Amino acid sequence: MDEKLIDLGEFGLTDDELFARVDNDSLESERITAPRYSYWHSVFRVFFKNKLNIVILSLLAVIILFSYVYPLIIGYNAEVDPYINVMNPAAKNLSPMLALQKLGFELKWILGTSNSGASTFDSVWYGSGISISLALICAAINVTVGILVGALWGFSRKIDMIMTEVYNIIANVPYILLISVLVLVFSPSFWTMVFALTVTGWLAIAYFIRTQVIIIRDREYNLASRCLGTPIWRIAIKNILPFMTSIIVTLIATEIPSYISYEVFLSYIGMGLKDMSLGKLIETSQNAMITPGWEFQFWSPVAIASIIAVVLYVVGQNLGDASDPRTHM
Amino acid sequence: MTKYLLGRLLKGLLSIIVVVAIVMVMVYSLLDRTLIFASDGTYSKQTSNAKEVYKMQKWEEYGYIDYIPYTDYLKTLLSEGNIDQATYDSVAKFGDKASDDTGAVKEYVQKFTEHYESLGYKVERLAAVKQGNRYRDGGQPRLFAYRDIPILTRLWDYVSGIIKIDNIHYVKEDIENRGLSFTLHDPAYGGEKFSPAIMGTGTEYKYLLYFDSNFPFIHQNLITVRMGTSYSVNRGIDVFDTMTNSQGEFKKSLITYPSGVKAESADNIHTARYVSGSLANGDLVTKTNFVDDYTRITVQKSGMSKIGYSFVIGIISVILSYLLAIPLGMLMAKQKDKLIDKLGTIYIVFIIAVPSLAYIFLFKAIGGSAGLPTTFDMQNPTWLMYILPIISLALPSIASLMKWLRRYMIDQQNADYVKFARSGGLTEGEIFKNHILKNAIIPIVHGIPGSVLSALVGAIITERVYVVPGAGNLLTTAINQYDNGVIVGLTLFYSLLSVVSIILGDILMSLVDPRISFTTKRR
Repeated sequence: MDEKLIDLGEFGLTDDELFARVDNDSLESERITAPRYSYWHSVFRVFFKNKLNIVILSLLAVIILFSYVYPLIIGYNAEVDPYINVMNPAAKNLSPMLALQKLGFELKWILGTSNSGASTFDSVWYGSGISISLALICAAINVTVGILVGALWGFSRKIDMIMTEVYNIIANVPYILLISVLVLVFSPSFWTMVFALTVTGWLAIAYFIRTQVIIIRDREYNLASRCLGTPIWRIAIKNILPFMTSIIVTLIATEIPSYISYEVFLSYIGMGLKDMSLGKLIETSQNAMITPGWEFQFWSPVAIASIIAVVLYVVGQNLGDASDPRTHM
Repeated sequence: MTKYLLGRLLKGLLSIIVVVAIVMVMVYSLLDRTLIFASDGTYSKQTSNAKEVYKMQKWEEYGYIDYIPYTDYLKTLLSEGNIDQATYDSVAKFGDKASDDTGAVKEYVQKFTEHYESLGYKVERLAAVKQGNRYRDGGQPRLFAYRDIPILTRLWDYVSGIIKIDNIHYVKEDIENRGLSFTLHDPAYGGEKFSPAIMGTGTEYKYLLYFDSNFPFIHQNLITVRMGTSYSVNRGIDVFDTMTNSQGEFKKSLITYPSGVKAESADNIHTARYVSGSLANGDLVTKTNFVDDYTRITVQKSGMSKIGYSFVIGIISVILSYLLAIPLGMLMAKQKDKLIDKLGTIYIVFIIAVPSLAYIFLFKAIGGSAGLPTTFDMQNPTWLMYILPIISLALPSIASLMKWLRRYMIDQQNADYVKFARSGGLTEGEIFKNHILKNAIIPIVHGIPGSVLSALVGAIITERVYVVPGAGNLLTTAINQYDNGVIVGLTLFYSLLSVVSIILGDILMSLVDPRISFTTKRR
């Protein structure tokens, strides 16, 4: 062991050339050596640890595939396809068994036919495409606007005073009336419905966010941050927004199914879209609910709407749970 | 506290007025007025000038505009004594075109035009449409003034007319014995049975205060609420009456008409209202039954009112949901992450995520196959038909109450006072009942007045699915039939309920929790 590893004399250099003094780096010594932590990485680690989430996520993938890709593959045309059997009374109101027997063994007949002879399977998936798009767009607009306005509302006391009065007034205007006026002024098209659902829809979300912001706003760490001279927008983005991520994800999880549900409700009371959305399908087939042999016309859109809503809700809730940093331990 | 609450109430009333104004702008200005003619058979049959006039008349009836034909102007001049009958007769007929007018006619047409144009009206003269020497169908010349009712005028007229106090100067015409009278023996019961009543002459209602056998036994007509007259939903009837009048089959009883005629009838003599000249112009039945112009009466029906049905169903489901949800929510919080909690969570997810329409239909199908009546039948009412609507209403509110109570209780479990109580040696049961529940229930208590009052509003889907004759569908019906009076009236009703329930909730909360105070104490 007394054998030298390297003989420094071999280099023929002086000590000054061989060694450089390293200063005590105060900045480096402040660095805490902890395992690398990435927020979103942890979120997905926690999310996928639960096997149920993988099952539900694949179910969601199947639903999206069927509502967006399937109509494209079969070249579904909403102007033509629902009416292919209008002149054929034998093809109307068929139960799945009869439809498969009479119209051939095809995927599109496995849920039977409607009272105009259209394939229930095709219309349900086409309709869920419309319903999901409506829900996603409305949720995106309302949540974005709601969070931005809610954050301002919570921060500024002046805005709080004004907005609270505005909220008290607008929250009291009957929502159905507002929607029906907008639908009558414009037309019951997809984008009118988006406008009607978002024109005041963000207000409730903003109010919810405002309350959350007020709770967090005056916590000690924010007070300290403000004392150190951090600008308000930086406090909002760096101190408060991360704290609210899980709340926001949970909020989105409840918002999306609620629009699907609301669209069904509006169609049922006769103020819905003119497109064949899920709600419209349920509304037009409600008489088939109790007629023996016709039940599939009614229950298939109901079941699909429920499955979509439950899947989106559960994914959102679990993502919300996973995005809470306290679960990352 | 009282001062604070009064302030809140005033602020609330102010915001209600703003809400009503917004809704008025929406229904009277934003909506396309021609929509009301979409399913009007009479309108499509009208031609030429008559069509324009019909349009104006309808718009006036629906409350969009103020419409004054030339002859109405002359009639007011006549009744005010500004012109005599002879002048009226000579100027009432105007020419086919403006240039045809001569002399006095021209003068009065000029006066009419100037008078209404100065008031902001638009005066329109439709020249005659002729075929040879004859007018075409509906082609007579027309002269009228009209204007959109300004929003402030409309709002003021509406708000100032909501509460009406009856007085003996209501009747404008001459009437004998104007004044109030008190009787111990109500003539409606034959004049022998003891039943005190205050009756008026010159008032709108004949009976101002009376007793009868219906709950709450003592009734009054002195102060009436007018929320807006319906045009198409329930023609000529106020929204408030539409919601509160009994429905169903006629309920007959032996009554004595003012003339002394006794009959088995559903007429409710106590609701008699003044209609000018109705006795003289009335039919034979009116003439035999009545002795004065108080002839407009409502009939007594055996069913409950719209609000009555909604409230019965609503209030039972509210009570049921609080009775079930509070113990269940507590159990879920106590057994967190155990089987009960998981089952409860599945139920909550089901109710939140599945469209309400879907599970109401599901319960209807399940209840129907279990033999329960699935539709409401006013002819043969049974208590069974209330079961499914009550369950359908209770299920979602149970879910949301459970969800929030569980959340609040779990949040409280980590509070310092709980740790302190535990270290003090209290059992978990004691901590739960006496400490956590008391704190967690406070936000729940805040919602109680709201849920009780919202039972008055009714439920749209539930009532529609089970064909309940309740108040829930009134708004959607009114919207579909462009009944602006009803829409505005219902908006007032809904926003009043929501303002009152928030204030009541705050009061109740401060009663339950002495720490909450709405007045800033001086320290």
